[in-house]
Amino acid sequence: MSKFFKKLFGALSDKPWDKEQMATDNYHQGKTFDISNQTSAVIVIFGVSTVLFSLIITGYLYSIPTTQDTQYLLKPNLLWVNTLILLSVTYFFNKITKDLKKNIYEKIKKNLLIVGFLSYVFLFGQIFFWFQLMKDGNYVSTNNYFSSFYIFTALHGLHLLGGLFFWGKVFSKISKLEQKEITSHKKSIEALSLYWIFLLIVWTMFFLIMYVFNDTVIAWCRALLS
Amino acid sequence: MSDEYNQKNTPIKAQSSEITSSSSGSSKDIDYVRPAELPEQDLYHGHSFITKWIFCQDAKVIGVQYFLTAVFTGIVGLVLSWLMRLQLGFPELVPFITAEHYYQFVTMHGMIMVVYFLTALFLGGFGNYLIPLMVGARDMVFPYVNMVSFWMFFIAVCVLMASFFVPGGPTGAGWTLYPPQAILPGTPGSNMGIILMLVSLSLFVIGFTMGGLNYLITILQARTRGMTLMRMPLTIWGIFTATALAMLAFPALLVSCIMMTLDKMLGTSFFMPTIVQAGEVLSYGGGSPVLFQHLFWFFGHPEVYIVALPAFGIVSDLISVHARKNIFGYRMMVWAIVGIGALSFFVWAHHMYVSGMNPWFGFFFATTTLIIAVPTALKVYNWIITLFRANIRMNTVMLFCLGFIVTFVNGGITGIFLGNVAVDIPLSDTYFVIAHFHMVMGIAPLMVIMGAVYHWFPLVTGRMLSEKLGKWHFWFTFLGAYSIYFPMHYLGFIGVPRRYFEMYDSPYVTSAIGMNEFITVAALIVGFSQLIFIYNIVVSLSIGKPAGKNPWKANSLEWLTPEVPPAHGNWGEKLPVIHRWPYDFNVPGAKEDYITQTTPPSEVISAEVEKT
Repeated sequence: MSKFFKKLFGALSDKPWDKEQMATDNYHQGKTFDISNQTSAVIVIFGVSTVLFSLIITGYLYSIPTTQDTQYLLKPNLLWVNTLILLSVTYFFNKITKDLKKNIYEKIKKNLLIVGFLSYVFLFGQIFFWFQLMKDGNYVSTNNYFSSFYIFTALHGLHLLGGLFFWGKVFSKISKLEQKEITSHKKSIEALSLYWIFLLIVWTMFFLIMYVFNDTVIAWCRALLS
Repeated sequence: MSDEYNQKNTPIKAQSSEITSSSSGSSKDIDYVRPAELPEQDLYHGHSFITKWIFCQDAKVIGVQYFLTAVFTGIVGLVLSWLMRLQLGFPELVPFITAEHYYQFVTMHGMIMVVYFLTALFLGGFGNYLIPLMVGARDMVFPYVNMVSFWMFFIAVCVLMASFFVPGGPTGAGWTLYPPQAILPGTPGSNMGIILMLVSLSLFVIGFTMGGLNYLITILQARTRGMTLMRMPLTIWGIFTATALAMLAFPALLVSCIMMTLDKMLGTSFFMPTIVQAGEVLSYGGGSPVLFQHLFWFFGHPEVYIVALPAFGIVSDLISVHARKNIFGYRMMVWAIVGIGALSFFVWAHHMYVSGMNPWFGFFFATTTLIIAVPTALKVYNWIITLFRANIRMNTVMLFCLGFIVTFVNGGITGIFLGNVAVDIPLSDTYFVIAHFHMVMGIAPLMVIMGAVYHWFPLVTGRMLSEKLGKWHFWFTFLGAYSIYFPMHYLGFIGVPRRYFEMYDSPYVTSAIGMNEFITVAALIVGFSQLIFIYNIVVSLSIGKPAGKNPWKANSLEWLTPEVPPAHGNWGEKLPVIHRWPYDFNVPGAKEDYITQTTPPSEVISAEVEKT
């Protein structure tokens, strides 16, 4: 991260009119960071989506009424399983990127397929959990906790669906290729892998704040607001 | 669509220029650039009318599409402002303008002008057209996504316009759309009108994110050889920083739109407190209307700079070219753009002084508001110093630049007044605020847009606009705009409240009626005088003087394409190679008064670069 800022902001001290600077600048290849466009895109989406999810959490924490009790907090159930599934997706992606680095192509197609399958399972698990909530009478309008819960999980799911769209495009191309030709899609796979890590981070933060440590967070917010 | 595109994909197989001479003592040594290491970009070239001009992936065509769509919405916004002014100047002259309609016009005018006109025009229009050309790229890095971005914008505009035709009409909640009144009965358009507005804004944000992704990555990762960040024109710095701001600020708008849509449609209470309406307790409860205000202004204030920063960048380049002088303090100008961008996220609550807040927060936001004036003032000084003892060409472009500086200083100074809590509270609900923000983010950016159109029209069309008509257009617009907004400061000082449909028997009627009539007449004249501009464009398209290559003798890359107007792919077979910054004007020892960015040092061996 410090390298990133150094590169971006360090450049701001250049004197482009200076003769010595001109000689240095003529060697510039025109690229700021040594990463692919796909990875750059994922990083930009990181930034945008982080703001989006942070604001939802902030909104939730901002509007906790002082009289709100926490009796509706959920007991361990399907959401833990879903979290483990998302964790395992990231594990498989990690294996894929490691294989790509070592030029081992045998298991990439299979692992990529598992990634897609598990991601869909996660999505179905989330929808199933919604139905469980509704069956228990906890709708989106029940209170601000559930409103925030539904909106966050929906947006996270949409992000995952977006990722699955690009996963589908990459996988359909790779599935037709010989093993060694997979290297031509290395950048796309690495970008996808990075995207899934981001999805896991977002989900973990949400899961901890709004689920596992919800009581503590609410108590802390109340103390802060009072 | 993508499959069809992929099948027909015919990439350009272009070679980058390479200078590999290494013989010592040769003048070519100083021209040496590293051979290209990055692969060429494959482009899809449209073959039919539809793929060339409608679903087109060429950023220049997309830029023009953005521009035309934004101008269309701007004209709608202009007509709405006329209707508002007719009511304010001559109440009940137009029978169909009821109080409900008036508030709907106010709301739609505000939202259209800020989001769908100015933002789309600066970033979508100028951004798309200029970024690849100015950084030496063939196109945006993701042309297909860029195309989808425009069509999302187009659908967003259609959804917004559709709200004029639904039962109840468009929302009349004011452009800030504050809940709870925005979604409760009694506010015009509180059913379909507000829903369509929220959906349209959400689509706009999603579409913009696709475009913004392209602008950022193209600028950071797809520049041509020799184009360092600090060799980029200030136009690109302005667009880059504004895009970064937009990418971080628009999510706040998206979140608030989604939450308010759910409040309206599914009965959630994100922004809705317990409400008793007509003696009946509504099902809402537990939400916070002030949360919406925070979210809205967390987007809303950076939005001012999303519009202003590209304008700052563009006007810097226009002044430099038409004053034949390097921009004074280039590095400071870049730092100021970046600094203003960063600070713009710490001033939002100065829009909420009247909402009530802890006095220390008010103090904090007043202080940050004053601090942000420092880099802004620095830019103004640098524009003026650039003009000092310059070889100024007093053409239409320069007139609009000077008009911008004057208007911006005017609007900026009143902004410093309003940044102070004690001054803001009595003035907040008066016409002083209207005058301030129209000066600083209405007329000032418009001056830059007009100047930029006169400047880059020859590049886009290959023909010059009429200078004579341009000067008429400028004076009508400039003097007319001042006739509208200068008196409004006075109206504000005497306490005329904004957002009032009619003053009825209040004392304001007698003291302000003449001035309101004058403002209305001026607004109509200024609006109609834009026909000169439209006429100039339409006529010049067919019979304008051929521009030829680089008619302004500018240095930046967009003027150095092999063809004018530039073809898809921009650069023919060879990508340009950059040897200098774009501000080498009147360099001592040079034969011409300009040295283009692609001119190698060996061709201007006696030129001594100025220190700045």
